[in-house]
Amino acid sequence: MASTNCWRCLARPSQRLLLAPASMTAASSNPTSAAFSTSTQLAARSTSGDTGMSRHIRTGKRLILGKKKRQGDKHKTPGPGERKAFRKRIQLSNDNALVVPGLAELTAQNVVDPGAVGQVVGIPVDVVDQLRTCEAFKSTQNWGLFRSPHMLIRKETVDMAQQLTDAVAKKETLRMVVTGDRGSGKSILGLQALATGFLNKWVVINIPEAQELTTAATEYSTVHNSDMFSQPVYIVKLMQAIHKANGPILSQCRVELDHMQLPISVTRNMSLAALINATKEPEFAWPVFQAFWKELLRPGRPPIMFALDGLAHIMRVSDYRSPAFELIHSHDLGLVRMFAEALGGKTPFPNGAAVLAVCSRGNAPILPSMDKALEQAAAIQAGAKAEEVPLRDAFYRKYDERVFEALRGVRVLDVRGVTKHEARSLMEYWAASGVLRLRVDEKNVSDRWTLAGGGVLAEMERVSLYDIRATV
Amino acid sequence: MVNVFGVNFHERKFVKKALESFYGLGPQTSARIMAKYTIHPLARIGAIPHKTATALTAELSTMTIEMDARRIVQDNIKRLRDMGTYRGRRHAMGLPVRGQKTRTQTETAKKLNTLERGGTSSRI
Repeated sequence: MASTNCWRCLARPSQRLLLAPASMTAASSNPTSAAFSTSTQLAARSTSGDTGMSRHIRTGKRLILGKKKRQGDKHKTPGPGERKAFRKRIQLSNDNALVVPGLAELTAQNVVDPGAVGQVVGIPVDVVDQLRTCEAFKSTQNWGLFRSPHMLIRKETVDMAQQLTDAVAKKETLRMVVTGDRGSGKSILGLQALATGFLNKWVVINIPEAQELTTAATEYSTVHNSDMFSQPVYIVKLMQAIHKANGPILSQCRVELDHMQLPISVTRNMSLAALINATKEPEFAWPVFQAFWKELLRPGRPPIMFALDGLAHIMRVSDYRSPAFELIHSHDLGLVRMFAEALGGKTPFPNGAAVLAVCSRGNAPILPSMDKALEQAAAIQAGAKAEEVPLRDAFYRKYDERVFEALRGVRVLDVRGVTKHEARSLMEYWAASGVLRLRVDEKNVSDRWTLAGGGVLAEMERVSLYDIRATV
Repeated sequence: MVNVFGVNFHERKFVKKALESFYGLGPQTSARIMAKYTIHPLARIGAIPHKTATALTAELSTMTIEMDARRIVQDNIKRLRDMGTYRGRRHAMGLPVRGQKTRTQTETAKKLNTLERGGTSSRI
């Protein structure tokens, strides 16, 4: 039974009765109207000149069926590559953050000084430029919260920098793998190593993301008369980064060898900077890069620092396929092989070198071979006897011999959480920058340090920087 | 625009997509062709050298794709019909061939089961 109420204005028939008692007789004397509809009744009343009846004019929105007229899109859609550029942008300064006065700058001396452990130091401007060129800063790191890039010198930093400089001073090769828990600061340690290299005027070559090389996302091509594959477009990019970051050092070195086989003309009075900048043609990139590498390995050149982030990605079979449609092992890619041979100690460096491989935990494939090789290397480093070195699993067949070869005899640096002393100076820096609104005292530092699982840096940042409401 | 096998493709188009746009060339074959010419899976057609584009055209012209592939399918259907088999008749009627019910849900059969299966027009 349909309600006789007007559903829009909630007027009741009783109220209508009160308002116009005369109208009831007219309504009841109209037998033709259906009981469930009031519209004909209302129409009848209006035509009969019954003005005493309160009429309800239905206003407001009406249902309109059919196609809506589309409003033109006022927002401009981002152009090709714009979204990615926004996602990957590196912001190194923030004008809203406070200037922290009285902090020292990073120098080649204080990075190896055990007394500097626990200090927060600024990165010199020219080193910042060099680090930015070789893509040492990552978009996941919180550089954009502070006025200028500063970093904490921790115990591991001094330890690593000392090993690097000692080895290079003795014209030896230091081959090191940085491992550690997720968010413990491995990539920052790699950045500090690169900064050490730049401050000591070494030739720094950095591969910022190893997965770019092996996930089949960049061009590759066969190399003539060899079983290797080159990645020409990536190598052109890398050569330009090397030229830009190491230009002054490279321009002091002259070409010493004859490079008859090169497609470009290289003369003896050319500098190495000119050699590496000679071509932007992807076709010539790999031979020119090989020539540059050969020149760098001549005696009397500056020391080399060769670093890579995301080691696990180059210790597996890549996603590329050979013309015979077989998967290519990462070590068959030219640049990766170059790094793997340097890390495995096959390349002789007469001028001293530091080969640094940084592992990543957030984004890494599970590789039993690499885990076992690093376990063995760590045991040997700790002074284990030959029979105490952990053995391979006898029932696992898929161990990759090339991985063991590439990691033979490397030093392993295990990064863990920072100490409370280091955590305190870092929190003082955050507080002075105005990001952390909290009194930095023993209790609060201890609080954060414990919340962060024993000073794991990324977790400390998470509990201190991200959740500002909880700290106010 | 890059011309491969008589068809113009936009530079931003994936090589994989461009290859698979030809009738009778699927993911398996396109992956093999791309590996043969060392083109990585995410390559855009504008990024491959001119030489490789020509080589791709030469490679495709030796393969049974487009009209040749269509003709094989259509000939098979035609043979069934000419023999007067049930399958041939069902194809001619545009109905399911393999004993499915026809009360409902024969859209796919209506779409595909014709004598001119795969269409008659070529991209080339």
